[in-house]
Amino acid sequence: MAMKKKRYALVLDSRKCINCKACAVACKAENQVPVGNTRNWINEARQGEYPKLRIDFEPEQCHHCEHPSCARVCPTGATWMRKDGVVLVNYDDCIGCRYCMVACPYDARYFHEESGTVHKCTLCSHRVDKGDLPACVETCPSKVRVFGDLEDPTSRVHELLATRRYRVKEPQTGNGPQLYYLL
Amino acid sequence: MGTVRMDRRLFLKAAGATAGAAATTQVACLSYFKKGRSAAADNREVPTTCELCPNKCSAIAVVEGGVVKKLNPNPENPKSRDMLCARGNAAIKQVYDPDRIKKPMIRMGARGEGKWKEVSWDEAFDFAAKKLGEVKAKHGPEASLWSSTEGFQEVFFKNLGLSFGSPNLVRHPTLCLASVNLAYSATFGTVPSFDLLNSKFVIMSGANRFESIITPDTMDLIGGVMERKAKLVYLDPRFTVTAAKADEWYPIKPGTDLAFILAMIHVIIKENRQSKDFVAAYTTGFDELAEHVKQYTPEWAEKETEIPARDITRIAREFADAAPRSLYYAGRRSSWYQNDFQMRRAQAILNAIIGNWDQVGGMVPNAKLPKGEFLFMPWDEPKAPRVDEIEKHFPLAAKGDGVYLKLRENVLSGKPYPIKAWMVYKQDPMNAMPDQAKTLKMIEGMDFIGVIDVAMSDMAWYADVVFPESAYLERTDPVEVMAGIWPAVVYRQQVVKPIHDTKPNLEIIQGLAKRLGLSDYFDYTIEQWVEAEFKELPIPMAMEHMKKHGVWAASGKPTYGKTLNPDHRFVTKTGKIELFSQRLQEAGYDPLPAYTAPVQPPDDRFRLILGRVGYFTHANQSNNVWLNEFMKENDLWINPKPAERLGIRNGAMVEVASSVGKVKLKARVTEEIRPDCVFMLHGFGKKSKMQSLVYNVGASDAVILETAWDKVSGNAAFHETFVKVVNA
Repeated sequence: MAMKKKRYALVLDSRKCINCKACAVACKAENQVPVGNTRNWINEARQGEYPKLRIDFEPEQCHHCEHPSCARVCPTGATWMRKDGVVLVNYDDCIGCRYCMVACPYDARYFHEESGTVHKCTLCSHRVDKGDLPACVETCPSKVRVFGDLEDPTSRVHELLATRRYRVKEPQTGNGPQLYYLL
Repeated sequence: MGTVRMDRRLFLKAAGATAGAAATTQVACLSYFKKGRSAAADNREVPTTCELCPNKCSAIAVVEGGVVKKLNPNPENPKSRDMLCARGNAAIKQVYDPDRIKKPMIRMGARGEGKWKEVSWDEAFDFAAKKLGEVKAKHGPEASLWSSTEGFQEVFFKNLGLSFGSPNLVRHPTLCLASVNLAYSATFGTVPSFDLLNSKFVIMSGANRFESIITPDTMDLIGGVMERKAKLVYLDPRFTVTAAKADEWYPIKPGTDLAFILAMIHVIIKENRQSKDFVAAYTTGFDELAEHVKQYTPEWAEKETEIPARDITRIAREFADAAPRSLYYAGRRSSWYQNDFQMRRAQAILNAIIGNWDQVGGMVPNAKLPKGEFLFMPWDEPKAPRVDEIEKHFPLAAKGDGVYLKLRENVLSGKPYPIKAWMVYKQDPMNAMPDQAKTLKMIEGMDFIGVIDVAMSDMAWYADVVFPESAYLERTDPVEVMAGIWPAVVYRQQVVKPIHDTKPNLEIIQGLAKRLGLSDYFDYTIEQWVEAEFKELPIPMAMEHMKKHGVWAASGKPTYGKTLNPDHRFVTKTGKIELFSQRLQEAGYDPLPAYTAPVQPPDDRFRLILGRVGYFTHANQSNNVWLNEFMKENDLWINPKPAERLGIRNGAMVEVASSVGKVKLKARVTEEIRPDCVFMLHGFGKKSKMQSLVYNVGASDAVILETAWDKVSGNAAFHETFVKVVNA
């Protein structure tokens, strides 16, 4: 049976984000992220003068780019992309040189002191491969994130991107980020 | 904005999520997630119920090698909406917290000095029983005070207090939501839930629902506002996350919400926009109400609230027009002012006259489920009257819960009789009660203090003996029935064995009971207790089901309108919804909510206001390492205008002083607060060195909050403190 092509992505409806940090703690537990490091986070933009004010929240993590600059600069090929688009680090090959951390336009990577390697969001591929959702997607109280396969025309992510306006961050880098923010 | 709206409509159409089908969509989602989860062979997955806050969300604990690795949301609980918040996820660190109390401890030095001796359980029990026995012999059993916060094992603690012979049980509601409960009970005879999933127009004041997470309200409201085109009007002196998400935010002058509500009622009645059929069929006292609110014009309310009269009028019209899918939200929250009960009564009345009672998108009386009860040996009712004199001062308040602040006043004065022993379960009165100096004084007057807790709270730090309770992931607890629009039964079962020398509360109570000669009343195991409860649940194979699923939901769909028949008697004096309340009048209170303007701070002072963020609710959560990362210390919010006048710079240390105490913390100069208020977050500035992340970090609001309470319910009024702020 021929494997159907897959392209995993996250569609985020940031307006629903209430900055509760559930995604960050769920990721911390699921991926044993050390205290002081994080694989996902929430950007805050505050503006205005009392009483005309505005706050915007924007959850972010590795964008699992189509043309990841982190993989391009990696001298050992430790950073690689799965067929389904998930960008991963092979820790056995990582020498901890941290070029990738500099190359990432989103600052989505951190140096894991204990192992001497660079870590980041794996899109919970170990969960996804079992048929579960990434931890951040599953736990989110206001269901900001929608995870799915862009190649599947029946998927919710496909439908959202077909019917809603959206943006990606730093498109000028040519990285082809796969975190889609609904407008 | 136009394009955004367009997109939203398209999306809704595509998703098939029209307003009417919203509930069905939810159910469809649940079954989708159910399919996805499968337990791998060598991984143990145990369904249980979260205890980090009162929401009781269902979680599935993933255990690897005997260690809890992850908590996943359990989609089978309709109330918890297939989610776990940051606190819920961080419950793992409650178990594996290096600050945990690892053995029973007896105080060696002075109270609060922090010199402890680890002892055996026998030693701890013997010591406590001896001390409690001494107090009983000298002053009678009523000289003991038993304070606790709601929890599945709280019942055992309360029963020990009662069987010991003390009438003095005092619980959290008067530091929490007693005023709301009493006001809705006085009007409807019950406390309803709010159907935010289907509401089209929501007004919220005094509750910051996007940062004080309540299930399913928070989730339903964000979906309502962002996906289902519900309108949210929000009143708050501070620009909170809820304000940021609201369609309209009004930085109302603090303490004047009642004026806003009365003016809304005025407009609705003047323009004859009330639900006439509903008012005629189900309520009493409408004519008195109409006469009473004539004085409360929107123009008058503008002067009180600083909300423009034209906006009040427009909001009142929109609110009435959206009925019955409109509601003034009460929800779970604390009390802020001394008129809190009457403010809540006015909300209840406003909801009543637009006829949103028992309607889709309105207020819905809670559906209940039966549960079995374990029959234990009964004891004689305690003979002495309560020390807080609740019947005299708060005749309508819930007797079993007590009135916390009045109780402290009486204990300090020694009248009507002395209290000499204080037992505390799962509560931190040092931080939960305003005016910490008074609490410390109360502590000083005690011959004995015993605390049962998972963590070394500030209260535990001042105790004579500390009994470490097992964390919820280490315990099996009684079954809990959650009434509501989405009634469910939840079960908390042991996920891992206790990692330290701790015990579940029942075993701690039994240890004490044995030495106090009260064993006969506690002659059962948690398994027997739970089994009795399972027996009467309307669930086939209840025990098997609950052990496997951790939750049972009554049905996928709520029911509406059960009380909407002319024969229905509300549990009030008249059997009707009481707009005018004779019962209140007879008790000496305003039978209709009357407005008195709150005292405003003088020019050189600010009103101190409180609140929460989504990841900290209770005082102990700031010491959870996974939550503490998001905020390592609290700060004082102050508007740039007064900050400039006072020469206060962002990030500088300031001293904040009230009439009862002063604290130092960093200033956050921010536009997101009214110029006449300052704000600080709860849960910092701990005195306990075993809250190591927040020991002496930031400041505790309890130190500077003054004692004040709502006149009818006795609920602590937390926004009645004026403070002076200077550079430190």
